[in-house]
Amino acid sequence: MEKNFIIAGFGGQGVLLAGEVLATAFMLAGKHVTWYPSYGAEMRGGTVNCEVVAGDEEVSAVNKLETDFIVALNQASFDKFLKKIKKGGTMIANSTLVKELKTRTDMNYIFAPITKLAEELGNIKMANILALGIVAKASKMISLEHLIDALDRVLPPHRKNLLPLNIKALKIGYEYDLLPA
Amino acid sequence: MATECITNKKVLTKGNYAIAQAAVLAGCECYFGYPITPQSEIGEFMSGKMQELNRGYVSAESELAAINMVIGACSTGAKAMTSSSSCAVSLMQEGLSYATSDQLPVVLVSVMRGGPGLGNIYPSQGDYFQATKGGGNGDYKLIVLAPSTVQECVDLTYKAFYLAHKYRNPTVLLADGLLGQMMEPVEFKEYPYPEIDNSGWALTGAKGRSGRVIRSYAPLAEDQCVFLEKLYQKYKTIEENETEWEEIGTEDADIILVSFGSTSRNVKTAVKMCREKGIKAGILRPITLYPFPNNRLKELACIAKKFIVVEVNMGQMVNDVRLAVNGKVPVELIHKPVGAPPAPEEILDKIEELI
Repeated sequence: MEKNFIIAGFGGQGVLLAGEVLATAFMLAGKHVTWYPSYGAEMRGGTVNCEVVAGDEEVSAVNKLETDFIVALNQASFDKFLKKIKKGGTMIANSTLVKELKTRTDMNYIFAPITKLAEELGNIKMANILALGIVAKASKMISLEHLIDALDRVLPPHRKNLLPLNIKALKIGYEYDLLPA
Repeated sequence: MATECITNKKVLTKGNYAIAQAAVLAGCECYFGYPITPQSEIGEFMSGKMQELNRGYVSAESELAAINMVIGACSTGAKAMTSSSSCAVSLMQEGLSYATSDQLPVVLVSVMRGGPGLGNIYPSQGDYFQATKGGGNGDYKLIVLAPSTVQECVDLTYKAFYLAHKYRNPTVLLADGLLGQMMEPVEFKEYPYPEIDNSGWALTGAKGRSGRVIRSYAPLAEDQCVFLEKLYQKYKTIEENETEWEEIGTEDADIILVSFGSTSRNVKTAVKMCREKGIKAGILRPITLYPFPNNRLKELACIAKKFIVVEVNMGQMVNDVRLAVNGKVPVELIHKPVGAPPAPEEILDKIEELI
């Protein structure tokens, strides 16, 4: 079954990189996958997003009308993409920056304080990768091992020193309790 | 050597980088270009890689300069290329007409964006006419290859170099902003084509032989007649040998969809959806836009009841399909002026309206 993911946030939150890591993980898992960025005359501080489509057959189309999983790292992305979620789909929202409002009843919400968790880990820049841990857990489509291998591939040599911290971030996301009391 | 980037495992690669890396692996010796979105990554990659490999790279002062530099390099028999996009490819039309007349193996990568004029940087297929009919003067044809996946960006870049040299004719890889910007897993295999011997015509210095001239000037009317006949004999050979397309579900189809490039992916999904609903649909995807699969379309017009062309422009390839079908069955158009191709669901809705 083909599934699609949109990762969205402020420019600078590492949205495109997170998408690339996710797409690489799908590739390593032997899936067909396509990564496509939003691009245009973008401004600093504006929203940015990318779509990752993965499945067992050749990927058909990007820019799909509906989305299975959305990761919203900021409020603007949450507001923009909420209506795009498929019935039964999932919104993973960064509750540090997004208000916990559930206006739709035909889909799932996961609110996690992604930025706060990354800050507690010691580096706010890990928020994007931490979010991928939550994606892995919520989607059940990709393993932590493939995401770790993907990180190792995608991080450039001069950033390899950050690999252990990134892996830690992934695990914190993966182990985050999706159903808090 | 560039063999370091040959891999037998898949690498997640952006379309533009895939094209650039494939050009390097195809043995491209010189790159000349001027940046423009959405293909600037090609020049960026080449600026580093070509230097590293001790090959030629020039960031030209204009597109006009770039195409003429390619002409110069190709005159020596070298594998040379440029890459550009839409409004900037317009600036190269004179050079392409000359290169065709000079019979030079120019490779041009054209990554389409919105037009006319400056337009915008979003994906488009609005340069189908520009590539297949040309904006240069005189009777000429460019070989045009249209990839639909990032893997095809690699495979058809290899092919573009091969065909350009095999036929000594400018060859265009016609991609679009969507393919240029997307990432997909690709394999970079070794360049699969034989090397073409250019020693019989290339300008390599006249040591030990008489001098040669490459020019596109025939002052006597009869000379130009002879030349054009010969040129078109070559085009006939290209049409007979190099026409390439893909077909899915056409054998029993009532409706045949015709679509090229990135748009064809959405159309393939729409065809699947049609079949699930009991609509007998199939797709023909031209891979070479010139030579165009005219004969196959003509054959299919005897089986199918209707053709529907799907493209992201105001309707360009639809004219060629109509010519091929020659009034035998109706040819309809589903289109979007510019941007991402229509979604498969939207295509399905329109198909249901049209049948």
